[in-house]
Parts: sequence; C-alpha cells; structure tokens
Amino acid sequence: MASSGPFEQRAGAHPLLAAFLEKRENLVLFLAARARSMAAAEDLVQDLYLKVAAMDPEAEVRAPVALLYRMAANLLVDEVRSLQRASRRNAQWRSETQKTLGGLDIVSEPAADEALIAAERARQLAEAVATLPPQMRRAFQLHKLEGLTQARTAEVMGVSQKMIEQHIAGAMRRLAERLRR
Amino acid sequence: MTDSPSREDRAEAEAQAWVARLSHDGAGGGDGLAFDAWLDAAPGNRAAYGAALALWHEFGARANDILTELDGLPDGESADLDVPPAPAWSTPSAAPRRAARRSGARLPMRRWLPVAAGAALAAGLALAVLPPAADLAVAKTYTTAKGQHQRIALGDGSVIDLDAESRLSVSLSGAQRRVTLAEGQAIFDVVHDAKRPFVVRAAGRDVRDIGTQFDVKARDGQLTVTVARGRVAISADAGGPGRPVELGPGQRFEADPAGPARLTAVDPQETFSWRAGRLVYRAQPLSEVVADLNRQFIEQTEIADPTLAKLPITGVIVLDNPHAVMSRLSLMLPIRTVPSGKGLMLLRK
Repeated sequence: MASSGPFEQRAGAHPLLAAFLEKRENLVLFLAARARSMAAAEDLVQDLYLKVAAMDPEAEVRAPVALLYRMAANLLVDEVRSLQRASRRNAQWRSETQKTLGGLDIVSEPAADEALIAAERARQLAEAVATLPPQMRRAFQLHKLEGLTQARTAEVMGVSQKMIEQHIAGAMRRLAERLRR
Repeated sequence: MTDSPSREDRAEAEAQAWVARLSHDGAGGGDGLAFDAWLDAAPGNRAAYGAALALWHEFGARANDILTELDGLPDGESADLDVPPAPAWSTPSAAPRRAARRSGARLPMRRWLPVAAGAALAAGLALAVLPPAADLAVAKTYTTAKGQHQRIALGDGSVIDLDAESRLSVSLSGAQRRVTLAEGQAIFDVVHDAKRPFVVRAAGRDVRDIGTQFDVKARDGQLTVTVARGRVAISADAGGPGRPVELGPGQRFEADPAGPARLTAVDPQETFSWRAGRLVYRAQPLSEVVADLNRQFIEQTEIADPTLAKLPITGVIVLDNPHAVMSRLSLMLPIRTVPSGKGLMLLRK
C-alpha cells in the first residue's frame, strides 16, 4: 500500500505505530478467523491503523503489543458495521443485475461452467460435513454455515461455549483430513 | 483421531484449535497475545494457520450452497427432496462416502428431541416437548393489535418477531415446522434443520427456508419476502404454473394477485428495522407512511389534504409517538398537524 519511507519516519517517534507495523501481519491473522475473508480482515486492520496513527505519539504506552490486540478485539465489536458496509456493496452490485420477472421461473444465473465447478465443490464440502459426528456437525453447521455466534450456538444446543469451541476445532480437523484425500 | 507425533500434524491441529478459539465473539486482547506468541513459537505454525483459515473462509463463502446440498443428501427417509445423482468425481471412494453420508444424514432425527427440549426449558417456554411419534402437531395462534409487537421463541431455537396488526399460527410436528401468516408482517430467524423444513404459508404461497433470516409481509393479498441471510424458496402461486423462485441475501420478492412477480435488490437491514422501532422509506408516498404509523400507534393519523398523500418520503422514522414523528416530519415537509377526534389530522402548511 503506502511506501514505507514516511511510515518509518513517523514510527520512530511513535512507539505504538512502530509496534503496529511490526505486528501488522499477525493482527490480520488474528482478525481473519472472525472476518468473512482475508480482504475483510485487511480492511479491519486498516481501520486499526487509522486509530493508531491518530493517537498521541507522546502518550506513554507500557505494553504496546497488548494494547494493539486489545484495540483489534474491540474493532470486532464494530464488525456489524463493516458487515453492513459489505452488504450494501453487494446490494449495489445486485441492483445492476436487477430484473423484473414476467413469470416466476427466472433466477439470475452465473456462467454455466463456473456454476458447475462451484456446485461440485459445494457438494464435496457438504459431504465432508455430513460425515462429522452428530453434535460436532450441528455445532459446525449452526456456527459456520448459518452464522450464529458461538455463544448462541451453545444456547441452542444446550451445551457450554467451551464445548462448542472444541466441536469447531474437532470439525476443522476432520474436515481438513477428509478433504485432503 | 490418532495423535500423530509429527511436527506438521501438531502445528495443523493447533492451528485448527486457534481458528475455533478466535472465531468466538468473545475472543479478546489476551487471546490475541497468546495467539501472537504461538505464531512465532514454531516455524510451521504460520503456514498451518493460513491453511486452516483458507478452508474456514471457503466454508463461509459457500455456506448457502453447502446448506442446500446437505438438505439434498439422501437418507431414505425424506421423500420431498430430489436425490442428486452420484457425481462422477466421487467414483473412486463412492461406496464409503455414501455409507458415511447415509449415517450422517440420519442423525438430525435422533438429535432433534433433546435439543428442542433443552432449548424450550432454557427459554422457559410453555411449548410442549415434541412427542417421538412424529405426527402429533402442536398448533398455536398469535395475534397482535395496533401498537403491539410480539417475539415468539420456538423450541427449536428459531425466533419469530411479529409486527403490529398481524395474525400467525405455528404448528410444529416431527416432520415439519409450519407457520401460517394470515395477515401482517414477521421476521423469521430460523435454525436450520434439514429433517424438518420450515415453511411459511402467506398470500397463497409457501416460503420455504434453507437456513435463514427473512421477513415476510402479507397485507391485503400482497406478498413481500426479503432475505437477510441464507436462502428461501418461494412456491408458485396456488394452482399456478411455474417453478419456485429462490431468493438469497439482499433480495426481495414482491407479488400481488393481479400483476407479475418482481425481484429486486434491497438492503435487508432497512426491511428489518421495524423490529428495532424504526421505519425506513425511500421515496414512498406519505399515505403509506401514515398507514404504517396507524398500525404502530393506537392514536390514528389522518391526511386531511388529499394533495399531501402522494408526497414522497425518504428517511428513517423513529417510532416513539405519533406527535413526535409528525413534528419531526413537519420540519422537512410542508405539513402541519391539528388534533382530531381519533388522534391527528395532517394539513398543508
């Protein structure tokens, strides 16, 4: 993105900014698990950069890395906002392809070959999900596929949040193993 | 699975556990610091995490298609879905896969009961625990008057928010969750269950969820369906020809008995805002705004000057009380209000 020259100059007098530049990639990875894509995580870290850069360089920061992760975690509280931003972007794109239906049997369709590859991959992923043990599958489906938070998933399934986290980790392990074959 | 001592295996398992931990909405700065230390603790950790994330994001990006596929996986019990033919690429290991698929797909039936009962108890609901004999339906009707909203929590974890002046009945059986929206508007937050489809009957059509949050409005024979998350399929008009229409996030379906059906793109948050006490309008006539307000408040507003009825309104209306709403509107529009017998009368300034 921006050249590193001015960054380094400013960073020299700004310990938090220096820590940010050093930890930038790790912060992206930290946020990526809850973002819908790497690009969305990059967006969030860009927001974090703006916040860091706006802070008083003179302010004493005892543990800059801890502060950065705290700020990053707080950013996710505003995640809803960025999701709305994304959904607006999607809506804009859709409005260009909007159509009035004469009958009921028209649905906008992607190119045939692309759709075929996507459908095949979806089938492969779905089959992998279907082989998970029942509770694990349900946790993965509610949290990852239907977008419930882990807290809400725990509520619906009537188990602890720790258990949901373990189910998700276990599901990822089995899914990765199965899909590698 | 077996715990292989290899370094790559350990890095991979740890990476997967980190994805699970960090995707928790409560993950905080402390988790971040621990994660930061782990990333640099072993040379393979970073790459393992990248691989786990890639799969994680792919599941998210293809979630709707996967849910639809999971619905269609054969299990010999559901008669209402087409069974897709075995795809060519699965031939090498088709037999074990299909076997596993069968056992996996049968499971929802078994796990349904304890989950439903647990959720119902947790919510303190009066809903009866579902009988194992699948066909005993529990039906209940909900009606809201002017100015009333109602939240209905179902035993399966699904939630229905009912708008004012609406009538809805819920019938849960072992085989199906069926809701009839006779009149009005409701937001459905459905916990997906391939074994028990969630079907909303409104204005002569069936709206069938495929794992979803959606809004259904049926007023005066006109049907509007807006999807925020997931997918729904809307059946053709009763007795009419045509395939079902499938809607995804950000899409709206509108149909009235006379004209053709229309599909448009919308910001679902705007449609869902009534639940939070706000109404969003984009160049809609004042008469429509007043009709909505008259559902939300006991005090009724009347448009005395017919030339005002078509005035286009764009903006967000906060539903506190009709006087406050009208006094805010009169700042932007050429209108003034006078008290009337029923509530308020709108006049041109």
